[in-house]
Amino acid sequence: MSKDLRFLVVDDFSTMRRIIKNLLHDLGYQNVAEADDGNTALPLLQAGNIDFLITDWNMPGMPGLELLKAVRADPKLAKMPVLMLTAEAKREQIVEAAQAGVNGYVIKPFTAVTLKEKLDKILEARAAAK
Amino acid sequence: MNQEELKSRYGNLVLNLSVALEAGDEKAFFTHLGAIARERDDGLWAQLRKLTTDLGSALERFQLDSRLVDLAEKEVPDAKHRLDYVMKMTDEAAHKTMDLVEQSGPLAGRISSDAEKLAALWEQFRTRQITPEAFRDLLDKMDVFLDDVRVTSEQLRRNLAEVLMAQGYQDLSGQIIRGVIKLVDEVEITLGQLVHLATSQSGAQASSDKFRESRGHGPAVPGLDNGAVVNGQQDIDALLSGLGL
Repeated sequence: MSKDLRFLVVDDFSTMRRIIKNLLHDLGYQNVAEADDGNTALPLLQAGNIDFLITDWNMPGMPGLELLKAVRADPKLAKMPVLMLTAEAKREQIVEAAQAGVNGYVIKPFTAVTLKEKLDKILEARAAAK
Repeated sequence: MNQEELKSRYGNLVLNLSVALEAGDEKAFFTHLGAIARERDDGLWAQLRKLTTDLGSALERFQLDSRLVDLAEKEVPDAKHRLDYVMKMTDEAAHKTMDLVEQSGPLAGRISSDAEKLAALWEQFRTRQITPEAFRDLLDKMDVFLDDVRVTSEQLRRNLAEVLMAQGYQDLSGQIIRGVIKLVDEVEITLGQLVHLATSQSGAQASSDKFRESRGHGPAVPGLDNGAVVNGQQDIDALLSGLGL
């Protein structure tokens, strides 16, 4: 799996962004950008320098679900792998995220092992689809 | 309407009507009859307007009252539970962090003191003052030390990673506190509207919808958010695999 992947981590809490960034570094991914909600994330995504999006759901400004929908609606970004990493735990929300096209869903609090598993699963599925 | 009011509003009108009737003045008779009818209709309209206003105020007050009852009976106690949960979460995270620090300190200390002991032998070796027995001792100790450094530093790295993960409480507790701040905000506004309504009997509108608008619900709090909430990552994985993910 290429370690040159460029990640965008979107979460309104800077502590959580740091945690995810550190975990990605531990997994060998050094290229990690950050944004604090969908509104700041979208221009970064549209600039075309991101390969993988990890986003929270509950954020002021543009929440994660809307960001996911905006990504899927943009022809240039539609195939971007998106992992939702959130405390939102209602079944209907998870179904909603799946219907909106999320590739993986990790519930907070989470472990480093779970994050790695879900990342690997998404990347393997993409490699197999190519 | 009492007799006095009746007399003052209709006395003259009836008198004029009766004078016109006596005089056989048809035009004047119907003019005064019209005036009596208008007087009666105006009173009715005023009554109706008052009734409508009263009904409007009662409805507004009812809306505010029922929101306040909801706030007082359900949401404020819920908020207390949520804050209790935040305290529990921060307490656990602080203890976990301190446990790991307490566990890691002696590990680092042991590496340091073992290195110090080896340094003395190493110095003898560098200055070529070491005896063959001491040299064999140095080699044995070096083997053990290198092994120990490898295992211990791996343990330290794991502990640091756990310290990092433990900081996730800040996000989760922050989301819950933000929800409680919104609630306090709403209580303040609703009470303000009630005071306004009580003093002016006008214009206030419950704005709870604005606060109920959801950008997500925040972390599930045990004992409060059961029912439709998943029970951990395994539940989610099962749900998603059912949806083909």
